[in-house]
Parts: sequence; C-alpha cells; structure tokens
Amino acid sequence: MSKKIVDCRGLSCPQPVIETKQALEKNQKVTVIVNNPAARDNVARFGESQGGKVTIKEKKDGVYVTITTSKDGKRPEQNQPSLCSTTGPVVTVIRSDQMGQGEEKLGRVLIRSFLHTLNEVSGRPDTMIFFNTGVRLTSEGSEVLDDLQALEHKGVAILVCGTCLDYFGLKEKIAVGQISNMYTIVETMLAAGRLLTV
Amino acid sequence: MGEKQSPSYGVVLFQSVNGALLAEKLLKGKGIEYKLIPVPRHLSSDCGVCLRFLLDNESQVKEALVGKVEIQLFSPL
Repeated sequence: MSKKIVDCRGLSCPQPVIETKQALEKNQKVTVIVNNPAARDNVARFGESQGGKVTIKEKKDGVYVTITTSKDGKRPEQNQPSLCSTTGPVVTVIRSDQMGQGEEKLGRVLIRSFLHTLNEVSGRPDTMIFFNTGVRLTSEGSEVLDDLQALEHKGVAILVCGTCLDYFGLKEKIAVGQISNMYTIVETMLAAGRLLTV
Repeated sequence: MGEKQSPSYGVVLFQSVNGALLAEKLLKGKGIEYKLIPVPRHLSSDCGVCLRFLLDNESQVKEALVGKVEIQLFSPL
C-alpha cells in the first residue's frame, strides 16, 4: 500500500485540502500534518467525503490526520463539502434595503426576489442580521414581511440593529425579528461558520 | 390562514424589469393581490422578476395590465 506524509503546518485554507486531494490521487494512505483546528476539520471531512477512514492524532508538533482509502479509483466523488467549509452557523447579513449597490430601484427589486427565494430553496441561514437601511425591511409597511416572518417561523433567528431602528424612528414599528445590539451582532458574526453578505 | 390547501397561482412575465415595476403599480392601484418573485426556473433561465397572482384573479390582472405594459407571457405557476 502506497503511503505519503504531507506537511501542511502553517498553510491556510484551502491549501491543506488541495494538497490532501493531490496526495490521495496517488496514494492509498495519506497522513496530513496540520496545526490548526479548521485545517484539521477540513482535511478530515474531505477524507470522509472520499470514502476514506480517518484517524486523528494530536501530537506536540501538530495534528496528524491519517486518511486510508480502500482501493484506488473507487472513491465517491459526490457530496464533496466545500473546500473551506468550517463548522458553525450560517449567518446572512442584510446591510441595506437593497441587494447590491449601484442602482437603488433595481436593488430594491432584487432584495424582494432574494428574500422570496430564500424561502423557496431547501437550505437556509441560521441567523439573519439587518442593519443600516436593512432594518426598514423588518418594519411595518415592508414588502418582504411575509417572507421574513416565514423564515422566522422556520427557525431563522432575525436580529435587527436597535441603533438603526432608533435612527430611522422605527423602534415601535418593528414587525419581525428581535431588536439586537452591536455586541450580539459582532458575536454572531464572529461565531459564524459562513457569513453571507447581501 | 389555517387552510391547508395552497392557493393556485399564475405568473405574468414582462419584457423588462421596469415593465414589472409599472405593472406592480397598476395592480397596487386596483387593490389586486400580487407578489414580485423571480421568474421560475422552468419558465426562463434568465435572472428576471415577474409578478405572481392568484389564478382566481386572472381576469382582473389581465384587464389591469393588457395594453398598458409590455407583457411577455402569462403562465400558471
């Protein structure tokens, strides 16, 4: 059985996964040495996605992730995780009442289309954060209230910037989500596995 | 609310985004229920928007829009 050791210490995503992939193409057993938890998780997840048996050993000089595949050329390729996926909630940031920047009228159409579609597709964010003019979307009179209420009903946490509501005089008019503050907003962003900015 | 039977919808597609916006104004003016949504994949692969309406209101929607906005297509959803 062919073996290979790949030293990925100090490399950042997606390099460790790319090197792991290349090594697995030519070897049945690959040990990848990494030195951060994100790289460890990503390499291990990649190994599993390739149908390999994964063992992880924490040593003084790094984490040794060993992937053993059964036979050459018999690795399931589907359901590959994204190379840089990290664990943690998916957070969507809505930073204005438009999608994108440039043309306001168009941006307002796009955000409605976006929020409708977010309800239609199977995946959804764990948390949505609204700030600046984005808070208008969560307030009375907004054309996307139904979509946001449906998302909230499905378990999406909706955090609305209190400072922003206050600035626009909308604090009494919030119709979906909970009024939040900068601490919660920053903590939620920092804890996110993926942060999608609209 | 509370009814399990989901309503039947139709969509109307326009020649342009501005057409959709004009139609929106017309429907709003008449108090006809609608929703601006992306054009369903099975109708077009473009990233367009269209207006969804209740099929029950189809004749009112047609009356409000035909001849006033450039319409590409009416279709059941």
